[in-house]
Amino acid sequence: MTSDVQLATRPADVSARDRVDAAKNLVVSFVLNGKPLSVAVAPTELLADTLREGLGLTGTKVACGTGDCGTCTAILDGEAVRSCLMLTAMVAGKTVETIEGLAGESDIHPIQQAFIDTGAVQCGYCTPGMILAAKALLDENPKPSADDIKEAISGNLCRCTGYTKIIEAIDKVANAVA
Amino acid sequence: MARAAPKPQANMGPPVPRYDGRAKVTGDARYPSDVPVASPAFAFLVTSAIAKGRIVRMDLAAAQAVPGVLDILTAEDTRELKHVKFAAGGAGASTSIQGLGPDIDHDGQIVAVVLADSFEAAREAAHKVDITYAAEEPAATFDATNAREESPEEVGERAKKLPKAGDAAAALASAEVTIDAQYATPAQHHNAIELFTTTALWSGDELTIYEPSQFVFGLKNNLAERLGIDAEQIRVVSPYVGGAFGSKAQMTPRTALIALAARRLGRPVKLVSTRDQAFTISTYRAETRHRIRMGARRDGRITAFIHEGWELTSRPDPYSVAGVEDSARMYGFGAVETRVTLVHADRNTPGFMRSPPVVPYIYALESAMDELALELGMDPVELRRANNSMRDATGKEWSSRSLMECYDEAAAAFGWKERTARPGSMRDGDWLIGWGCATAAYPTHLGPSAVRVRLTPAGEVRVQVAAHDIGTGLYTVLAQLAADELGVPLDMVRVELGDTALPPGIVAGGSVSTAATGSALVKACAAIRERLTAAPAQTTGGPSGNKLEDVFERLGIGAIEEYAEFIPEGGKPDAIASLYKGKPALGGGSHGEKLMYALGAEFVEVRVHALTREIRVPRIVGAFAAGRIMNTRTARSQLMGGMIWGISSALHEATEIDRRHARYINDNLADYLMPVNADIRDVEVILVPEEDSEVNPIGAKGLGELGNVGTAAAITNAVHHATGVRIRELPVRLEKLLG
Ligand code: FES
Ligand code: FES
Repeated sequence: MTSDVQLATRPADVSARDRVDAAKNLVVSFVLNGKPLSVAVAPTELLADTLREGLGLTGTKVACGTGDCGTCTAILDGEAVRSCLMLTAMVAGKTVETIEGLAGESDIHPIQQAFIDTGAVQCGYCTPGMILAAKALLDENPKPSADDIKEAISGNLCRCTGYTKIIEAIDKVANAVA
Repeated sequence: MARAAPKPQANMGPPVPRYDGRAKVTGDARYPSDVPVASPAFAFLVTSAIAKGRIVRMDLAAAQAVPGVLDILTAEDTRELKHVKFAAGGAGASTSIQGLGPDIDHDGQIVAVVLADSFEAAREAAHKVDITYAAEEPAATFDATNAREESPEEVGERAKKLPKAGDAAAALASAEVTIDAQYATPAQHHNAIELFTTTALWSGDELTIYEPSQFVFGLKNNLAERLGIDAEQIRVVSPYVGGAFGSKAQMTPRTALIALAARRLGRPVKLVSTRDQAFTISTYRAETRHRIRMGARRDGRITAFIHEGWELTSRPDPYSVAGVEDSARMYGFGAVETRVTLVHADRNTPGFMRSPPVVPYIYALESAMDELALELGMDPVELRRANNSMRDATGKEWSSRSLMECYDEAAAAFGWKERTARPGSMRDGDWLIGWGCATAAYPTHLGPSAVRVRLTPAGEVRVQVAAHDIGTGLYTVLAQLAADELGVPLDMVRVELGDTALPPGIVAGGSVSTAATGSALVKACAAIRERLTAAPAQTTGGPSGNKLEDVFERLGIGAIEEYAEFIPEGGKPDAIASLYKGKPALGGGSHGEKLMYALGAEFVEVRVHALTREIRVPRIVGAFAAGRIMNTRTARSQLMGGMIWGISSALHEATEIDRRHARYINDNLADYLMPVNADIRDVEVILVPEEDSEVNPIGAKGLGELGNVGTAAAITNAVHHATGVRIRELPVRLEKLLG
């Protein structure tokens, strides 16, 4: 049995500058946006930081770091989670989706299109998290009621739109996908 | 869905989708903290735990021992930074409180900056900085014994610049009907979803700053002054801003600290401050108090209007919004008197937050209007009609005013005529129903802008200006305008914003961006068209067609590039030179020859539970007139978002202040109540056609700060209609309706 979390072996004489990197002594393997990968992280490293700083996937935003806003939403094994509250070590062996994985080769995902069409995007900072929360909902329940939609994004704050257009966008996709 | 994009009527542009929509839905849009820099050091701020007093001792040993810590900046290390004068609106620093101690002037003041190889190490070390303070008792807000209220002389000096007409006191004394009421609004924080971030990168003597900004030229120039370097050495880049609402218009103390740290380390430095720090390292909307006295004739004509305001500010800075400037002009009052008094306390300096003057002052005015209507036994809409006037008490005329058109359209859509006047008379089972309305108003500001536009033979257009799209839709309306003006398809237009390498644009404040930048753009496009028509009809052997390529060939050039400057009528001739230096000059509103405002009417239904007093807002209808509407979709987004803000202001939002420690209590997104989607039900936006050729060359009045004005009064008026209880202190919380 192979483990998805391994302690990396490091040379004993690390230079002072490498000391912090040396703390990245955990190799975590998971599937990110359909592709398997392994990353070396510190045991205390948060998934949001690994995505943003380590992997350069800055579509995931962080606006509180305390689980209050949903801006950092990612999809973990089909479920919307807050990447600012999860250690990267916790996703070992799992499947993670971020906003960068949503658009196909030639076109963007219908939820993304609907957000543009209904004017659900203003400053855009909450948008990736909102779209992922919506995707997790629609993957699970393709025909949600208005209340289901509200429930699904109730943990995602938006300071610009007032939500109505976001709900319209998600509803539009639900009603178009037969 | 038709609702997302209202059908354009007269003087409205088509609802093309948002220019930056694709970048934002795919995560490709790079906000300043998303920009990758090579091997950055991470900064974490240490902020003061007291509001007033001094730092006696700072022990850094434990912090320095955290592995990965590179440097810790304290007051001694930052002495080389120059003091930059405070100025509201972007021309100066956000606060006079710029030092890291030893004197402490407010809770949460930055006192040290920890730099480390990782964010985690910087944060851990920041918590290990051990500070001993000598604390004094702070003044937290109004009524604190050691707060300093301005003297009558200071108040009198300010009153000279405020509206006054006739003898209001005498008119009040002889009025047939009078009211005298006091109102209060709370402190509020912008809480844009994007945090305050700064990344500083030196390359030799050249400094690049990535920071979300509503005024990149202001930041560049103020930072240069603070660092004591030439502004030409600094470039500020901020193509996307994750919400701002006024909080990113001025230079705050953090920027120079991060720039300095990066210079000391010889390495890029990245700061992402925390949410609780956001409450104290930038600005906020200060709490206000009001007293309004009105006198009227039995037929509803208002003969006397006296509005006094009190505003809280920091110890050193005279920050004031003075919205009596707007309230006193809203109707054809007979006589007017106004006064504003500042109260200085031990707090961080407040600053502009979405519709700064009108949110508190129009709330007070529109509440008082409702109280007067009740006193007169008049329908509140009819009271506004009776006092609707194209001229204010001082004799100033409006450039255009469609207030009653807004009232009539919104009232019809809302079904206002079904309303029964007596409070508590519209009940649905256990729910008490209340209907209320109020005026929304926002001054139409004017400002200068430069722009550069380039057209190629293939019909590609590039628009460049250091203006800012903070979620307002500026990218989109500029692309539309350029496509229109140059007759090319929309997808041929590229717009570049938010970078001091581009020609200067105005501060994204006062809802002035579309008008200022758009006016400059129209000018540049006209110059391009002129150059095209100057092409010879034919050259020997060359093409004679009208296709763009042919015309370019006859001109013998590869592209046309035009730089244009727009200065509004009556603006100073050096307005653009000032803009390059980071000084924005905003005119218009009530300050020019004419009164220029975007107006609206908002109608709300509230439901208050008869037993629990739970409050709901099931529907809200707003009708707005704002001159030329550039894009009905982005306009609707702005107005709808604004109305939700208004609901939020009325029911939820208040920064709670610990009176003993002058400290914000709910400084996080869980406790700072903002509405989540489940709170919002039916929101309807009506765009009322209006033409106004006087406001600016494109005839558009800014509307980004219109929708959230008046909403709070409409709600408190509706709450009164439902319950008979008049809430004169926002927010309306259920406990205020009990007992
Ligand atoms: S950043 Fe994760 S919930 Fe706010
Ligand atoms: S669009 Fe700005 S926070 Fe949602």
